[in-house]
Amino acid sequence: MTQHSTGTSITFDRATKTYPGAAAPALDALDLEVEAGELVCLVGPSGGGKTTALQLVNRLVDLTSGDIRIGDRSISDQSAIELRRTIGYAIQQSGLFPHYTVAHNIATVPTILGWDKERIRTRTAELLELVGLSPVETWLSRYPAQLSGGQQQRVGIARALAADPPVMLMDEPFGALDPITRVAVQDEFLAIHRAVGKTTLFVTHDIDEAIKMADRIAILKPGGKLAQFGTPSEVLSNPADDFVAEFLGSERGLKRLALTTVGEIVPGRSDRASAETAQWPDVEATMTLREALSVVSAARAEGAIVHKGGNRLGEVSLHDLIAPPVAVEDREGVRT
Amino acid sequence: MHVIFGAFPFMIDNVALLLTKTGDHLVISLIPLLAAIALGVPIGVWLGHAHRGEFLAVSVTNIGRALPSLALIAILIGFVGIGMLNAMIALFLLAFPPILSYAFQAVDSIDRDLTRAARGMGMSPGQVLLKVELPLGLPMIIAGIRTSAVLTVSSATIATIAGSGGLGDVILNQVAYGMEGVIAGAIWVAVLAILVDQAFALLLRVSAPAGVRQLQSANAM
Ligand SMILES: Nc1ncnc2c1ncn2[C@@H]1O[C@H](COP(=O)(O)OP(=O)(O)OP(=O)(O)O)[C@@H](O)[C@H]1O
Ligand SMILES: [Mg+2]
Repeated sequence: MTQHSTGTSITFDRATKTYPGAAAPALDALDLEVEAGELVCLVGPSGGGKTTALQLVNRLVDLTSGDIRIGDRSISDQSAIELRRTIGYAIQQSGLFPHYTVAHNIATVPTILGWDKERIRTRTAELLELVGLSPVETWLSRYPAQLSGGQQQRVGIARALAADPPVMLMDEPFGALDPITRVAVQDEFLAIHRAVGKTTLFVTHDIDEAIKMADRIAILKPGGKLAQFGTPSEVLSNPADDFVAEFLGSERGLKRLALTTVGEIVPGRSDRASAETAQWPDVEATMTLREALSVVSAARAEGAIVHKGGNRLGEVSLHDLIAPPVAVEDREGVRT
Repeated sequence: MHVIFGAFPFMIDNVALLLTKTGDHLVISLIPLLAAIALGVPIGVWLGHAHRGEFLAVSVTNIGRALPSLALIAILIGFVGIGMLNAMIALFLLAFPPILSYAFQAVDSIDRDLTRAARGMGMSPGQVLLKVELPLGLPMIIAGIRTSAVLTVSSATIATIAGSGGLGDVILNQVAYGMEGVIAGAIWVAVLAILVDQAFALLLRVSAPAGVRQLQSANAM
């Protein structure tokens, strides 16, 4: 894999956008820093200014006041067109060109940049492998209409990554996918993100998606004001205000449990009588506490037996699952 | 009934006449059509690309619809006088609105997400036009030309009123050619219009970009 750039920070500095004719700003003095290599999810209600914030970065929308910097460089220091060629951009419904083949779609930016054919060919093949569309030959000459929604979205991600941009902007990229495909593409994207380390600003209105994907979550409230910015566990444990609490929903406590896997809290030793655990169900170490809780509840048991690849790791009690012995906050070191 | 059958012997006997008149007819239709394409396609495409001038494109079409070609010619005789030029101006005014409004629609109606993605990736406005809007809009642009072509070829018949020849000479001259001649000329024009229509239908199929054709056939199944 030839991934070069490891990412550059994106800094919003009192970024404000008021659309012509609008009484109030769509985005109001946003201060936000997405660190190099970080994945930040931007969430909020419909009309909260998420898309606006994203499009300010690649100058599809012009700032009314304030500034945005990529690395040390203000976005207004270069031409909008040059700027966009250094930013990966993926949107809902993939935005693939219906009259271009998969290969042609992925080659869009490299072609504009004048790469030679051989380099484009190599890069395209590499990207298709990366997004899990292999063997490559099967996909190259297909048209978007011949792909499923999930496959289109994968091609959309490959296209956004094509010229190896240090920064990625994604606007509800998985919004149109059915739940099962969505989870699969999310997992793949997370794996890609960890492998290539692009600074990513990811808009979604699905809070669960944000909790799952984000290093940090920025929550916008109506009027385009930043309500809270923090790690998923910070936001879930300490909502800044009533708006955030309501936005996170009444299952906030359970969602927090989804941040930790059973494998992370299972004690290394077993000190329970086997009679006690005989009726306990089995769970995989990779399951989240929330999922394990569901299994335990369904079995009407007091705990679960944790397995990893066929090996028994130990047991977790109902109490362990509800109030994990390792504080969830301690996982931040693991996340980053 | 015998008059209609009589039209066919008339055609056979007068092939030379009909062919000459067809030649004139095509020239009278083609020149205004080409002028309408040369003007209407660029203006329509440009307005569509800028997502502006919907008002203009729609009003031109409505005025075009409201004015029957016969009335147009009558009005123009007043201004330009009788003659070939007069007929061609009338036919141009007839051909222009559909070409303009289809070209506008073709580009204006392209999914905004697509053009947003194209711009977001760093395509210049010219690249968005050439690589995305024109290829995807082409079938509809051609559909507009098709409408105008059929309209022009069939309406050129009445250009005779303005004294410019063509098959209208035969159709509108029962004294010289008899009822058989009138009907023969009418059938001839109808066939000509159908041929023009079918030629464009073919062009339309070929012009749809491959990925889009896939989509159409997939939807048809
Ligand atoms: N081009 C525009 N012109 C005028 N107003 C706009 C424009 N784009 C967005 N707005 C307004 O700005 C506000 C924020 O819109 P934006 O698209 O950023 O919201 P969003 O958070 O992305 O919403 P959604 O979740 O529905 O996509 C809305 O009130 C919207 O109506
Ligand atoms: Mg949006």
